Amino acid sequence: MRLLFILGEIGSGLRRNLSMVISVVLVTFVSLTFVGAAGMLQMQINQMKGYWYDKVQVAVFLCNDGSTAVGCASGPATKEQQDNLQAMLESPAVKQYINDFQFESQAEAYKHFKEQFSNSPIVDSVSQDQLPASFRINMKNPEKYQIISETFSSQPGVETVSDQRQVLERIFSWMNGASVAAMGVAAVMIFCAVLLITTTIRLSAFSRRRETGIMRLVGASKTVIQLPFILEGVIAAVVGALLASVTLWLMAHFWLNGDLSRQFLNTPFISSTQVLVIAPVLIALGGGLAGISSLLTLRRYLKV
Amino acid sequence: MIRFENVTKVYEQNARPALDSVSLEINRGEFTFLVGASGSGKSTFLRLILKEDKASSGSVYVAGQNVANISSWRVPKLRRGIGVVFQDFRLLPQKNVFANVAFAMQVIGKSRSIIRETVPEVLKTVGLEGKEKRMPHELSGGEQQRVAIARAVVNRPGILLADEPTGNLDPITSMGIMGVLDKINQNGTTVVMATHDDDIVNEMRRRVVELKNGKVIRDEAKALYTSMIPVVGESRRLKDASGEELNRAQGAQL
Ligand SMILES: Nc1ncnc2c1ncn2[C@@H]1O[C@H](COP(=O)(O)OP(=O)(O)OP(=O)(O)O)[C@@H](O)[C@H]1O
Ligand SMILES: [Mg+2]
Repeated sequence: MRLLFILGEIGSGLRRNLSMVISVVLVTFVSLTFVGAAGMLQMQINQMKGYWYDKVQVAVFLCNDGSTAVGCASGPATKEQQDNLQAMLESPAVKQYINDFQFESQAEAYKHFKEQFSNSPIVDSVSQDQLPASFRINMKNPEKYQIISETFSSQPGVETVSDQRQVLERIFSWMNGASVAAMGVAAVMIFCAVLLITTTIRLSAFSRRRETGIMRLVGASKTVIQLPFILEGVIAAVVGALLASVTLWLMAHFWLNGDLSRQFLNTPFISSTQVLVIAPVLIALGGGLAGISSLLTLRRYLKV
Repeated sequence: MIRFENVTKVYEQNARPALDSVSLEINRGEFTFLVGASGSGKSTFLRLILKEDKASSGSVYVAGQNVANISSWRVPKLRRGIGVVFQDFRLLPQKNVFANVAFAMQVIGKSRSIIRETVPEVLKTVGLEGKEKRMPHELSGGEQQRVAIARAVVNRPGILLADEPTGNLDPITSMGIMGVLDKINQNGTTVVMATHDDDIVNEMRRRVVELKNGKVIRDEAKALYTSMIPVVGESRRLKDASGEELNRAQGAQL
């Protein structure tokens, strides 16, 4: 009976304050979408780190026809230079830092290149001679890249030493920046949402002061008096959180795993099911914030 | 049932107290009028019983319990034992008569079947049979006050507090309301009624407690609105023990 009564009170409260309730829903929706987007970016970064970090290598590129580096003044790397580099890699001084290494010839480089860009017209404009041969080194500890770079970049026949990890790091730091920015927008929006919830609950308490006054006099408990107001705020916020979750899922499903993954074939995107992990967090966050701010508002504006 | 021990209530520092060391006992089943000029502290007295306000000093006992010792989460329980009616009825305008009375039971978790059984009974007691479906704006003031009384007593409180319940009603309607309150009192409920209505007090002949500037200046059983014993320095008497005397006095003046 009391439950039915409370539900009825919530219903009438929501109806009476419809426009305010809708604005609470929308503001929590937008703010939690930003929170969720920040979360998704972090998940994406982790996913890519996990996928790439044990695959990335330090590459020592050898000179080819078109090389302009100082070490390549004598033209394409000779077999002798190549053997020399291999010997260095096998020497104990270097070997302690690396797990293993492979040599990738120009022919192999061309083959990989064609695979990687199979659906792009760029393949037709590149010939085997334009691609450098390289030693691909798997580091024991990727942080020790500097040592390899110093040892090899001044060797004859070496065009450049590149650390794929650094390229990735740049992408990751850019993505991190985006997720921090999303969190910033989210923080401002959440602040708005809390203010709006506070105002809504205050108005709601004011417009129902006659009822609550009578409830007090006839001895209704604090819970029965306050719960309808608190749940009113919580329900609005949870609806906003659900909308945000659906939006994020749609984004992951149709954009990340649709368009984007067709464009970036070998990038591991987070799946839309992974996004579902974010949903409960958003719902708890939205509901919790609304509950707490409603409770604090009622303490001040509703005598019980 | 209700006991005040040296109760003083000060709302604002350096203003005179709204109640000034009031000591008073009201027994179970008694009907007590609280009279006195505006601002004499009648409403304050009633609010202290409800723990709506806290006494500045002294103790208020309700049903043997010092209200100062009732923790905030148990205040609702105290209030379930006390019904209250006001001058302005305070009905919920969008609920009909039945729903207004049922509201008081719903919010304390009474079951639907008990509500369906009790509400018509109480409406009968206050003389509103057959008007269950009326909305408050379709009722006269007297009928609205009856609804308010029904709501106040539907949970069978031991005490009924009435703060000028006839203040907005004409004399005949007021007498009808008094009949209802009397009936409720006959059923064993302690009634405390603050009023300015001398006719009613004189008609009912019940205990009268008179307040002035927060002090009890008279406490008489089966009394009239104004004392028959002249109070020294009281010059405001327009009306005396019986209406006739007043008429004579007025006639003499004219
Ligand atoms: N909430 C309050 N804050 C400050 N002062 C108050 C408050 N309530 C009452 N008072 C003061 O306390 C005194 C007693 O007020 P109270 O309402 O008890 O009088 P009353 O006898 O009920 O008067 P009336 O017959 O006009 O209803 C008055 O002087 C009033 O101004
Ligand atoms: Mg008053």
